[in-house]
Amino acid sequence: MRRLIALAFVALLVAVPLSAEAQKKGGVLKIGNLGEPPSLDPHWGTQTITEVLTNHVFEGLYSLDEKYQPIPMLADGMPAVSKDGLTYAIKLRKGIKFHNGKEMTSDDVVASLSRWSKRSTYGKSLWTQVVDFKATDKYAVELKLKEKSAIVVVSLAVPNNFGAIYPKEIADKFPPDQRITEWVGTGPFKLAEWKPDQYIRMTRYDEYKPLPGKQSGYGGAKIVHVDELRWIPVPDAASRAAQLESGDLDAADDLVADAYDRLKANKDVQPVLVKPYYWLVAVFNKKEGLMTNQKLRQAWQAALDIEPIMKTVAGGKPEFYRMDSSLAFRELPWHTKIAGLPWNERNKEKAKRLLKEANYSGQPIRFMTTQEYKWMYDFALVTKQQLEEVGFKIDLQVMDWSTLGQRRIKPAEYDVFTTGMGNFFDPTHHIYLGPNWPGWTDDEQINTLMAQMARETDQKKRYALWEQTTKRFYEYVAVARYGDLFGLRAIRKSVKGFSDKTERPRFWGVWLEK
Amino acid sequence: MAAYLIRRVLAVIPVMLVVVTLVFLLIHLIPGDPAAAILGPDATPAQIEATRIQLGLDRPLHEQLLKFYSRLLQGDLGRSYFLDRPVTQALWERAEPTALLTIAALLVAIVIGVPSGLVAGAYPGSVWDRVLMFGALLGVCVPGFWLSLNFIYFFAVQLRWLPAGGYASIFVDPWAAVRYMVLPAVSLGFNQSALIARIARSCMLEVLQQDYIRTARAKGLSQGVVIVGHAFRNAMVPVVTVIGITTAILIGGAVVTEIVFNIPGLGRLIISAILRRDYPVVQGVVLVTAATYVVVNLIVDVVYVFIDPRIRYG
Repeated sequence: MRRLIALAFVALLVAVPLSAEAQKKGGVLKIGNLGEPPSLDPHWGTQTITEVLTNHVFEGLYSLDEKYQPIPMLADGMPAVSKDGLTYAIKLRKGIKFHNGKEMTSDDVVASLSRWSKRSTYGKSLWTQVVDFKATDKYAVELKLKEKSAIVVVSLAVPNNFGAIYPKEIADKFPPDQRITEWVGTGPFKLAEWKPDQYIRMTRYDEYKPLPGKQSGYGGAKIVHVDELRWIPVPDAASRAAQLESGDLDAADDLVADAYDRLKANKDVQPVLVKPYYWLVAVFNKKEGLMTNQKLRQAWQAALDIEPIMKTVAGGKPEFYRMDSSLAFRELPWHTKIAGLPWNERNKEKAKRLLKEANYSGQPIRFMTTQEYKWMYDFALVTKQQLEEVGFKIDLQVMDWSTLGQRRIKPAEYDVFTTGMGNFFDPTHHIYLGPNWPGWTDDEQINTLMAQMARETDQKKRYALWEQTTKRFYEYVAVARYGDLFGLRAIRKSVKGFSDKTERPRFWGVWLEK
Repeated sequence: MAAYLIRRVLAVIPVMLVVVTLVFLLIHLIPGDPAAAILGPDATPAQIEATRIQLGLDRPLHEQLLKFYSRLLQGDLGRSYFLDRPVTQALWERAEPTALLTIAALLVAIVIGVPSGLVAGAYPGSVWDRVLMFGALLGVCVPGFWLSLNFIYFFAVQLRWLPAGGYASIFVDPWAAVRYMVLPAVSLGFNQSALIARIARSCMLEVLQQDYIRTARAKGLSQGVVIVGHAFRNAMVPVVTVIGITTAILIGGAVVTEIVFNIPGLGRLIISAILRRDYPVVQGVVLVTAATYVVVNLIVDVVYVFIDPRIRYG
């Protein structure tokens, strides 16, 4: 009898997880998002919406863990680097099948990454160092560099504009400047249907082989429970929140902080703060016009009182902002804690003195912003008020985002513009520190430091260089750094297993409570 | 009649020509760069320039306009910059929701507007007249978007009777389609029903003062026969004109309703196309909307003949 009970107990132990798994399986998860992606080709475009969608369908050789550090995805382990640091040998996982049933081999990887290297921001910058990239056998590739580089693996791991692996036939068929229209990847979801402005349907890929271990950040084991993801474009943020509350949606992304209290009070809904999201920034035009004067930029920095600005932007909700001077978010290992930086100085006297030293006599400073992103307009408005108190004259120009996007690349048209800086996974990725991005930071010291960081592979030395860069940044004032702003998304409480730790949402590991 | 119709249809051509040219110039006048909109905030100036060349945006404006005309003559509206597909296809995919919404809203407007206007007009000064005309006044005053948001709040979020937004094709799932359509159609149609009601009332009042109505009454006909048999048809001519205008207004008003209720129609398409500076799509939607206006007006003129046989076109 005792044996029987023991047997029954063992049977129960085995059966419970099984039935739990069976219970998790199934259902259609409906996610409301901002609108239409211009493409579902991650090599091609940099938009957030393209990033979020395509990461469910495609995978790269590497991915990022919960601390935003590179981990293997389609690669079998980290690369074997030669002693001189110039050759990277990357093994591929065997038996990985594309959604069309074909096995992934080194030919696909070479074709895909070659296409990526001609189009993607990260691919292009990595390839300036690459002299040769080839397959060494069916499941191995080799990358040869001109000089030592610190950014090989991280460039292959970033989630935006990433080195997704397509079947060779597709990578060859679509030239880099043309968007792919056959979406075949290796990811845990297959693209089933794309009806513009109505929905994008992704179905579970049953042949998918998850990595062993746990889900971590953007990588690790991706186990899919739901049958289908249905991404529904709901351009109006208030409608998105209402549809989540009424149960028409299971998850909603890109909500506005105004909705937070109402969502929190709803017993069926769980609001999720998005950390990190953006740090707010006023970008100075350093190529032409008034702000080429470093003293003027320093005066701007000295005059700012950041806390009230952030409070306004966050609608008075302290949950939605964070005061920080580091150029990398607190969530990243690149976060710095340097005391005594001229950040949030609130020093009106210093600002006035700097204005005088700059020989500024009240010429209007053209400051471009947009109401399309309300937080940009809000912080521009309070900034204008604070600066005018010390003697600046600000000509606030409000336009739509598309116009701002066009004008900010023309040095003759503006002095300052507002934007937000998202997550940069490596110091060399901080675009506003380089000469190719609007605002055109072209400082000799920063350039040297960036070049050193690109080559230096020792983590400690790199971090020290990064701290130096940060100090120089505040002296040169490439842009004015404000505080960190957090975003808002929400899920219904019937959605289980959703990770609130990542900057952008992922829907593997998620199930619907029945 | 046939000659008249042919003349009317031919007259559409210069109208459309002016419309497309104006739209082309206006959309190119506003600043903003389609290439920057497609490529996203992190694009480099070099990438943007390459995309501009690829899209033909580096060509002089008159050259772009001529190319646009020549394609138009071949029935080709061009290719959407952002959606990367032919404009005709993009329009076709979004025509059904807008058409259904407009028809549903029109039905709501007519079903509420015509009877209440006629009743109010038939019994002027009565309690019915006052109640109905107060309702109509409200209908004209209340903005459509405010009504929409309140409908969503009460009927979708609080009561959970109807979905808060979205769309299902009537050809795929008719029941779901009806559920999705109720709130947008009522909030869009209600405003217009008020306009129709007021016109119907004043027409009814006017007709009821005519001599032939007095004659009919003198013959001893009942009030019902007088109103339905003698007054109704005559009161309808201006009402049909208003219904025609209403259809046109509804197509325009559908823009806001489509955004609030998340209906994937032409209104939402044109708003997003304007924000993305997707010139071919904006031109395409305006062209289709203008053509619809013209056709609706033509239909209204033809309908007059059936309502009032005295009207002749020659």
